[in-house]
Amino acid sequence: MRDAYLVGAGQSAYGAFPEESYRSLFRTAFDAAVDSVPDEFDADEIDEAFIGTLGVGGRQLGLSGPAVTEHVGLDGVPCTRVENACAASGFAVRQAVQAVKSGMADVALAGGFEVMTDMSSDATKYWLGVSGETEWERLSGTTFSGVYAQMASAHMNEYGTTREQLSRVAVKNHANGAKNPHAQLGFECSLEDAQSAPVVADPLNLYHCCPTSDGAACALIVSEDVVDDYTDDPIRVAGVGAGSDSVGLFQRDTYTGVPASRRAAETAYEMADIDPADLDFAEVHDCFAIAELLAYEDLGFCEPGEAGDLIESGATELGGDLPVNTSGGLKSKGHPIGATGAGQVVEAFKQLSGKAGERQVETPTRGLTHNVGGSGGAAVVHVFERQQEVSAR
Amino acid sequence: MTAITAVGAYTPRFRISAAAFEEAWGHFRAAGISEKTVPAADEDALTMGYEAATRALEAAELAGGEVDWLAFATSTPPVAEADLTARLGAMLAVSESATRHVFTGSTRAGTRAISAGMDAIDANAAEATALVVTADAPMGHPDGELDHAAGAGAAALVLEPDGPAHITDRAEFAQPYPGTRFRNTGDDETQGLGVTQYDRRAFTQTIGGAVAELERERDPDVAVVQAPDGKLPYRAAGAAGVDTDAIRAAATVHELGDLGAASVPASLAAALAAGTESILAVSYGSGAGADAFALETAGDVPARIDLDGDATLSYAEYLRQRGVVTTGPPSGGGAYVSVPSWQRSIPQRYRLEAGRCPDCGALSFPPAGACNDCGTLDAAEPVELAGTGTVEAVTTISQGGAPPEFAPHQSRSGDYAAAIVALDAAANDRNGDGDGNRNETADANTNAETATLRTVSVPAMGTDAAPDAFAVGDRVETTIRRIYTQEGVTRYGFKIRPQTP
Repeated sequence: MRDAYLVGAGQSAYGAFPEESYRSLFRTAFDAAVDSVPDEFDADEIDEAFIGTLGVGGRQLGLSGPAVTEHVGLDGVPCTRVENACAASGFAVRQAVQAVKSGMADVALAGGFEVMTDMSSDATKYWLGVSGETEWERLSGTTFSGVYAQMASAHMNEYGTTREQLSRVAVKNHANGAKNPHAQLGFECSLEDAQSAPVVADPLNLYHCCPTSDGAACALIVSEDVVDDYTDDPIRVAGVGAGSDSVGLFQRDTYTGVPASRRAAETAYEMADIDPADLDFAEVHDCFAIAELLAYEDLGFCEPGEAGDLIESGATELGGDLPVNTSGGLKSKGHPIGATGAGQVVEAFKQLSGKAGERQVETPTRGLTHNVGGSGGAAVVHVFERQQEVSAR
Repeated sequence: MTAITAVGAYTPRFRISAAAFEEAWGHFRAAGISEKTVPAADEDALTMGYEAATRALEAAELAGGEVDWLAFATSTPPVAEADLTARLGAMLAVSESATRHVFTGSTRAGTRAISAGMDAIDANAAEATALVVTADAPMGHPDGELDHAAGAGAAALVLEPDGPAHITDRAEFAQPYPGTRFRNTGDDETQGLGVTQYDRRAFTQTIGGAVAELERERDPDVAVVQAPDGKLPYRAAGAAGVDTDAIRAAATVHELGDLGAASVPASLAAALAAGTESILAVSYGSGAGADAFALETAGDVPARIDLDGDATLSYAEYLRQRGVVTTGPPSGGGAYVSVPSWQRSIPQRYRLEAGRCPDCGALSFPPAGACNDCGTLDAAEPVELAGTGTVEAVTTISQGGAPPEFAPHQSRSGDYAAAIVALDAAANDRNGDGDGNRNETADANTNAETATLRTVSVPAMGTDAAPDAFAVGDRVETTIRRIYTQEGVTRYGFKIRPQTP
């Protein structure tokens, strides 16, 4: 199979934008992605598009993929909407990589968007809630905060993970997000703030939960045959992995980890022929603070049960051994469901292109993105690698 | 001849004192009541009836399938039209072809059900087993005498041709007394005109009339008399031909409040459980009518009586639990399950019907789709779970954490626990049914492997205890409660509570 490369990526700011539509937000992200390509990029060269959205917020519109590609002038370009809950555009990126690797496309657009802040909180809970196991899990009175809180309770019970360690995830990600102009909650928070916030679903408090957001993100994936037309400093999609599992937590083999993430990571590492130790940064799916700690273990950054120690050690802070969620993560940067996976790729692109500004990791070679749907019904992992750095070593 | 062969009684765990009403209103209108029971937000006459019925069946050592005749009696049915005995029978695993009756429209409904049960046993002679389930949760205007007196509770009686407590005689009596306690069609609140002497006359005349119809001269040890409040029963002493001490000996109203259609059955159950030898029981239903029964016991009546409370409410909490000051559900929600989907899952929601994999023996819940353990698509064999289990993961849902359908429940009951529980297989099914494919000694050599044979994980909401009463590793038991109401249809299903020792 051919190699696939990431030649451009861009996003809108994440936040609440009553003056914007889902189409205008997508336009912003698309333009930013096109502009980010080092050499000239003509949108006419796009062969295929994959667009992730949970359903245009709660609207549940059909054909919501073509609705945005048509808006940016890609009439006629085959477009497929990808839906895997919060992992929608992570899987859209994977689809674009598959299309390029298979030879069916030379240039593929992967994007995602969501508009979440224009509905009442009850209406929002409705369409978010339906991404879970409705008949039993929701009927026991939980939304996702409750399900992740149950995972936290099991992790705390089994490994002694503490509430303070959960709060440290928020402190770290807010510190990073404060350096990201696109972040929705781009302010720092103290450990005290992050420990004293109102409880949402014990042990999770408000600072352990990501916000609802409007936003869009796009990435451009091209084949090895055409990559030289766009850049002299190519970023290779070195590894791709994905997994699925029971949609309801109660039907999984474990509550202290996300088996779909483990499978996705193992596949991606194998394809990239690397170990977790070879990574220089990672964007992981921290919809709730416990989710970031579970990701540390599922992605092999530490052994099962040691995530609490890892966050406490500072290793995952900016400047640490393996900075995690330099963008601010879902917690601080925001979580416009369908945009999130592609948005993680935007951060990977910025870091590997040296354009991450204040939050730049020093000359990174490899970065990982990790996007989870629901509470672990689906997960996708990508490893991106800067070729010049690989060759130089 | 008809005998009561087992009894069960239940009240919700919540209590409110007369003093709490006095503090809120400046007065308490229900004479002779010092404390009363309050139904939890997820309880109604049907769920309380289920609680009492399971206790009576347990005391009788009877399975639901052995019941031939089932009656449900209440003056406050959660729906005005729809046969609630279909649901109650399914919750109790009563045969689908058993005879069923609903009695309502009066606080006399409970004793009408007993009387009808006696008729059924007389008609069917030796083989008949009847289960009379009575439950009530009256509700009136917040500043009315009726609401101040209103309690909540349930009692269930097993009737058979012969047993330790014989009903030796019965009689009934009715005279028109319009304007006593009544509830017009479409209303939620029961009311009365409050013409004191008129109400009192209706009560004593009908009770006196029924007792007078009993054939034998009698001097019972105790007299169980309908108790709309803590004073009225004693006014009927003369009419019933008993002294007030005999009434006081069986009275539950002072601590439980007005149990409506369950008033006489619950006090009767308590008196039988206490080993009382001769009992006069007489009910009253406004309108007005009365049923009187004479009972003689010889030997202990198997009983499980749970009439104790464990949590005291303030008046504000009382209004919240009863839904007086809370709003209904918002439209739409993440936990919407269509009624037909719900109906298909009733064996799971009511009876914890799980599946056992024909290939690997693992349990599955709900029993649908590929086996969670070995992935086979062969249909699972239905198995019932034990109704006990262990908490594996748990959270307390606070503000903002509840799906919108549960917002009304949360505003009434407060924060609640939501857990994943490993439910136990039934005792007679701990290791599967012995299918040769399941080489248990060889294969079940790790905890993880045997766990899927012995338990199955399900999500469940906590009830009957504060949310912090549920922690990982705790033992719990299931019960049936209101889950939520959508499109006007209340969905009932299992919840969990700390296991009773």
